[in-house]
Amino acid sequence: MPAQRDSALSAPAVSAAFQRWTIVVALVAIWLVVPWFISRTVVDMLVFTGLYTIAGLGVAFLLGQCGIVSLAQSVFYGIGAYSTAYCALQLGWPATAGVALGAGLSAAIAVLVGWPVLRLSGYFLALATLALAIIGHVLFLEWDWLTGGTLGIGGIPPIALSGFELNSPVRFYYFLWPIVALVVWMHYNLLNSRTGFAMRAMRDAPAAALVLGIDTHALKVKMFVLSAVLGSVAGSLFAHYVSFISVDSFGVDRAINFLLIAVLGGAKTIAGPILGALFITVTPHALSRLGDIHALLFAACLILVVIFLPGGFGGALRDLVRRLGRRRRR
Amino acid sequence: MLEIENLEAGYGGLPILKGVSLRIGRNESVAIIGANGAGKSTLVQAICGLIPATSGRIVQQGREIHHLPAHERAQRGIAVVLEGRRLFGELTVRQNLMLALAHGMRRGADQQIFSLERILELFAFMSGRLDARVELLSGGEQQMVAIARALLLQPEVLIMDEPSTGLAPKVVRDIVEVIERLRAGGMSVILVEQNVAIAAQTSERAYVMSLGKLVYEIAPGGWDDFRNNEALVRAYLGGQ
Repeated sequence: MPAQRDSALSAPAVSAAFQRWTIVVALVAIWLVVPWFISRTVVDMLVFTGLYTIAGLGVAFLLGQCGIVSLAQSVFYGIGAYSTAYCALQLGWPATAGVALGAGLSAAIAVLVGWPVLRLSGYFLALATLALAIIGHVLFLEWDWLTGGTLGIGGIPPIALSGFELNSPVRFYYFLWPIVALVVWMHYNLLNSRTGFAMRAMRDAPAAALVLGIDTHALKVKMFVLSAVLGSVAGSLFAHYVSFISVDSFGVDRAINFLLIAVLGGAKTIAGPILGALFITVTPHALSRLGDIHALLFAACLILVVIFLPGGFGGALRDLVRRLGRRRRR
Repeated sequence: MLEIENLEAGYGGLPILKGVSLRIGRNESVAIIGANGAGKSTLVQAICGLIPATSGRIVQQGREIHHLPAHERAQRGIAVVLEGRRLFGELTVRQNLMLALAHGMRRGADQQIFSLERILELFAFMSGRLDARVELLSGGEQQMVAIARALLLQPEVLIMDEPSTGLAPKVVRDIVEVIERLRAGGMSVILVEQNVAIAAQTSERAYVMSLGKLVYEIAPGGWDDFRNNEALVRAYLGGQ
């Protein structure tokens, strides 16, 4: 009997593992060959998609798993960018040091700010994070001795790996997407860990989570810190990629973009932030060919997506895969 | 085991509990009965820390706990089955139970009162439903999961807030049986109930609550006297 059970279990398990590896191999193949067939402009957009995925993912798991609406991600994106610029230009430190400094600073600020602010909930919390985004933007503007203000900071060197400079979109693309894959994989593991279950428990029934011994406030702060670190890392990579940063890149509109990535992509899904980032990057570019009306059309697109795909692109994709799976089983 | 002295609590400055005092000893089962709006659920929330006490004391095993946040009270052995079950619907039965095991009272493996195996003995249906999402279970099964989850906290005191509400008579009988087995196993249980019959079946003694106060105490063996006193029952329980 045990042998029978083992064989009954192993067939689908092998099939699932085979399917998983097929998907991984296909994604790696796509990652390798895509730049050969697309223009430099499109590769550039894919780089931005990757950067926005990392930062947007931080917003997505706060929203989808913890029920926290965060509009503060642009601040941490900015801190990462300015930290790495300062380290590279003023201190002559390598990119890794700049990324680490930005992440450390962002984590510290997230703890200091998150501890009081995350006692709020709902609209009040969303407004408090919006206030953070505005304060951050004002400080980036006013502290021009550090940030260059509206004039910005130029000449940030590209990341160099053993002397090999990532000074073109294609090189940066090959460097960035494995990092994106790593972050998405870590996100997947987080959601399926005890911490992930606790996050969902806190979102669905906060009182029940508390009486089950879960310190929901500490958990919120930890996740806010993790989100801030992701935003900061994305900001640091952004600075090294574009080589010039200014306060315009870290305003409230950027914070809203990160939230849109989470909402449109599907905050509860693994693929959501990637799809949301792709949409936010590609759609405005594609619509810009239509002239001045492009902003209006983009807004209309947002409304249509929210109405017809309430679970976001990731939710729609998940439903489609489930439907196909059910049809195949029949 | 657990003593409550002159507890006052409420919502947004509105006092609900007005000087509640009670105690429950080790291995004892006590019911709190009262009509709708008597303040029973508020008392449960104040004991487990979901609302702060404005005055009074809660003492567990000689240590004051009323200043502790809710999650620390749970970790110290105060487990609650909240009214309306409040399960984590997107998670499976196993994941709901594992969360309780992970966050409950820290005991050595040899001191654990409830292991997953023991829970599956107590709630036999769960063996086949461990990987089912909780939101897909029936109301009765969900109530059992809520009780199982509380037990996996390895509690010293188990508080159940109206566990029979909205359930079919057969399921209510099952729940009563579970409470009786817990009581026989030495668990201290506070049962908050509107249904006097269920309370009498599962608890040695009881407090009657009305308008935020404990107005009457039913001593061990005093259930029949209480139920036969029509005026008392009508006054405090609305004529059950």
